Amino acid sequence: MALTDHAPSAPVLPAARAVDLVKTYGKGDAAVRALDGVNVEFERGRFTAVMGPSGSGKSTLMHCMAGLDVPTSGRTFVGDQEIGLLDDAGLTQMRRDRIGFVFQSFNLVPTLSAGENITLPADLAGTKVDQAWFDFLIDQLGIRDRLSHRPNEMSGGQQQRAACARALISRPDLIFADEPTGNLDSNSSAEMLSFLRRSVTEFGQSIVMVTHDPRGAAHADRVVFLADGQVVGELLSPSADSVLEQMKQLDT
Amino acid sequence: MWKATIKGLLAHKLRLALTGLAIVLGVTFVSGTLVLTDTLHNTFTTLFGHIYQNIDFEVRAKAAFTNNGSGTATRKPIPQSIVTAVRGVPGVAYAQGSVTGYAQFIAPDGKAVSTGGAPNIGLSFDPNPQLSSLHLTRGTAPTTSSDVLMDVGTANKYHFRVGQRVRILLSGPPQTFTIRGLVKFGTADNLAGATIAGFDLPTAQRLFGEVGRYDTIDVLAKPGVDKASVQRGIAQVLPAGVEVVTGQTVANEQTNAINQALSFFSTALLVFAFISLFVGGFTIFNTFSIIVGQRTRELALLRVLGASRRQVFRSVLLEATILGIVASLVGLGLGVLTAVGLEALLKGFGITLPSGPLVFESRTVVAALVVGVGVTVVSAVSPARRAVRIPPVAALADYRGGEDESSRRRIVVGTVIAALGIVALAFGLTKPAIQLVGVGALAVFIGVGMLAPVVARPMSSALGRPLAGLLGISGRLGRENSMRSPRRTAQTASALMVGLALVSTIAVFGASLSRSATSSVDQAISADYIVTNPGSGGGGFSGSVATAAARVPGLSAISTVYSGTFEFQNSLSGLTSVSTDHLSQTVILRMVAGRGAPALSAGELLIDSSTANTKHLEVGSVVAVRFAETGSSTMRIGGIFKPNALLGSFVVGDGFFLSHFNNPLAVAVLLRARGGASGAGEAAVTTALKAYPNLTIQTRAQFEKTQQAQVNQLLGLVYALLGLAVVIALIGIVNTLMLSVFERTHEIGLLRAVGMRRRQVRAMIRSESVILSLFGAVIGVVVGTALGVAFAASLKEQGITDIVVPVSNLIVFLIIAALLGLGAASFPARRAAKLDVLAAIAAE
Repeated sequence: MALTDHAPSAPVLPAARAVDLVKTYGKGDAAVRALDGVNVEFERGRFTAVMGPSGSGKSTLMHCMAGLDVPTSGRTFVGDQEIGLLDDAGLTQMRRDRIGFVFQSFNLVPTLSAGENITLPADLAGTKVDQAWFDFLIDQLGIRDRLSHRPNEMSGGQQQRAACARALISRPDLIFADEPTGNLDSNSSAEMLSFLRRSVTEFGQSIVMVTHDPRGAAHADRVVFLADGQVVGELLSPSADSVLEQMKQLDT
Repeated sequence: MWKATIKGLLAHKLRLALTGLAIVLGVTFVSGTLVLTDTLHNTFTTLFGHIYQNIDFEVRAKAAFTNNGSGTATRKPIPQSIVTAVRGVPGVAYAQGSVTGYAQFIAPDGKAVSTGGAPNIGLSFDPNPQLSSLHLTRGTAPTTSSDVLMDVGTANKYHFRVGQRVRILLSGPPQTFTIRGLVKFGTADNLAGATIAGFDLPTAQRLFGEVGRYDTIDVLAKPGVDKASVQRGIAQVLPAGVEVVTGQTVANEQTNAINQALSFFSTALLVFAFISLFVGGFTIFNTFSIIVGQRTRELALLRVLGASRRQVFRSVLLEATILGIVASLVGLGLGVLTAVGLEALLKGFGITLPSGPLVFESRTVVAALVVGVGVTVVSAVSPARRAVRIPPVAALADYRGGEDESSRRRIVVGTVIAALGIVALAFGLTKPAIQLVGVGALAVFIGVGMLAPVVARPMSSALGRPLAGLLGISGRLGRENSMRSPRRTAQTASALMVGLALVSTIAVFGASLSRSATSSVDQAISADYIVTNPGSGGGGFSGSVATAAARVPGLSAISTVYSGTFEFQNSLSGLTSVSTDHLSQTVILRMVAGRGAPALSAGELLIDSSTANTKHLEVGSVVAVRFAETGSSTMRIGGIFKPNALLGSFVVGDGFFLSHFNNPLAVAVLLRARGGASGAGEAAVTTALKAYPNLTIQTRAQFEKTQQAQVNQLLGLVYALLGLAVVIALIGIVNTLMLSVFERTHEIGLLRAVGMRRRQVRAMIRSESVILSLFGAVIGVVVGTALGVAFAASLKEQGITDIVVPVSNLIVFLIIAALLGLGAASFPARRAAKLDVLAAIAAE
């Protein structure tokens, strides 16, 4: 993986960042500090992986930064927009227009066809998708023959590819992917990860991916490590080996 | 977003079809009623228009009373001599008088001809075809005093032929006539069941006690003249108190009278239709709540992807709207079919309506859509709002949804609504104001529905214990399931609760009414035998019956009861008269003040104590009265009696009555036998009165039974109409069970994998259903009994003296509810048992 160029002297606004983020669940004795003062920045045009063992808070971090959950304290930004200042309508609009999502499963609305699922955010906004971009994505992802099918008529890999298309169609500021290959076999996994990589390299997309798979993380430009609700490490230009190595070190 | 909504709808067609069925049934009822009434209205308007289209003018007495209420005005007859003057008016081509009265045919088998409550009309026949409402279809016009024309309907039914002899019951003694011809009333075989006997004018005048007088004079104008000036000309020759109106006016009056009767009928039906829709609303609310719950993840995903709250809200409401529209259209179509069926039903009861096309007004379409869509959407609002509150993060697998029931708020709101409802009911019952009663009842149901979840768990637990003991593990799981979500249990059972509450209310009210009717007979009449004519509408018969009855040996008293209308202090009231001889032997008048029989003999008026209290009258007060025959005068109050349900509020002696009413019909003859009632005595009376087959002779005990039977018949009809609401409630239960089974696919698969037999799965679903039904039924019966007692208590003044709670009936209702619950579960239970085990375990 080649190092991408660093930005010139003028600082570029990160795609998203968190400042002193804290998230607690429960009360009293049963209180759990899922995020314990996290400070992190995700760069524009980069593929960042967030890794950590179960209970490290990586999913919680993503929920807070995507506006799906409200932190107990601290601030989060998408671009220059502070998320905490938005009301529900504002958050909704932001999710619709500026953020893309790929989940581990249940990405698609079961009653719509693949094609309709892909254009769904645009339909919600009342706008039309860029047809050329749509055709390009569909063909690149190889799901043209599945466009009129419902999710239950598609394989897991096809569903995830459709989810990718939907996430990319509106060219969002940032795409959050939560264990996108968790339910896939190794072939489909590899295909998906390389497509995500391409979208960063060739289309300038910014992606943040939560994962616990070192091979997946190896596709990223940078890996952020979380443990016990805090950032504990970082790796640039990772490889599967270097990621494994880092994780072993964190375990001790 | 629309596409997502519509796709969502189509994907769950079956689920929504069942829900929609509830609305379909309610709308069918509504549109069927509207189509039927519109058709009847149109038919009668056409009929009367047709009959009166040729009559230019009618001369008649002015209305006797200023305040007429419903129905046609009472008018006294006019002198015969007027017709000569009318004929002399320039522009008049033809004028002839006409009279009407009571004439009832006796069928060949000796029984009186009557068709379920319709009157038996006698008319004078006018040979001028333009003038007469009767249209000769066979034979010739009557010319002698023994000729009669018979309506085609009666002739067909009893196979009478022209030339045959027939006996006819009249206001005087019965007579025999020869059938000279058959007639139709306009285009109809008879007038909606009323029989028609036609006589020539002089004979009719004699038979109806109007020698030298006419009821009306019908006038034809010469062609081409200015009608208005002819009318003015006629008016000039008329004496005071007599008016001339156009034929159109008369047609309109007749139509309006019928329409008022129809509107009462249609209002009653519509009330039941709305009850069905109300219950349907509960069902919709429940189903949509469940649907929203099941689609939590999907709806959350839409929110994640950027659907705004408003879009989600509108989506759920759009689903409801589409469902409402489709269901309403289906209901509309079925309603038209129902109206056709209803017409056939009426014909089966002998009520032949004049033939006319089915009238389908645009108003019916609008009403059906508004009502159907309205109920569906309104019921879906609350679930839609809950859908909006689903947080986007619920789309993710590890979200543990907070089932925050916000129960405290619901309890408060529910209590408030129920309390307001009780207040409205109290006001509505004491005032009285029917609308308040309806609104109050509605609020009570909604309030109780909201509070039901509070008792759902403990009650399900209690109700399920015997089942658990009986059915082992299946029963226990069924019980656990119904306790699992009290809110779901309560919502599902609410519809059934409403249905059963209404049924119970009617049961309590009806039982009280029935008992009061019975006890009131014993407190109103002391006679041993009661002679009435229950068949003919208005129930009158000849006063000569008393003369015939006098021939029976061993009678100590005979009283003829007449009834009529008069104006008492400027408001229309009913007046009853009794014979004054041996009064106490036939009628029970408990005097509170003044004298009884002596006052009646002196031509004074007796009033009951509630009237005396309301109008602040006492013995010796002189009041203004007005009679149709004799005009205005005054009367002295001779006595005040305790309310007597059968005599009404105003009583006079029969001497007074006969001198103030022309040729009246008796409504009852009361006989007292020296040795009391006996089988032999009854037989003797029957023999003496065998010339009058229209009469029914009963002992007091039999009369009581008849009254009870009438109440029970009405109750039966009401139960049948409420039955629809119960059916809708059951549909709701079936629906919920189906959805619940679908929801628990994984769980059921697990049970089967671990070794539960198919039969045990079915038993589990069935016991759940029974618990659900009983829960709703118990609450419904309790609420309904309370309402019924309240209604009965509020009508104490009006004669409901006893309050009866028919416990055995109520228990039967509970048993029926349990059985219905069992039935409702059969399809869902089979579905659950048939689930493929492997597929079920793999499901989410």
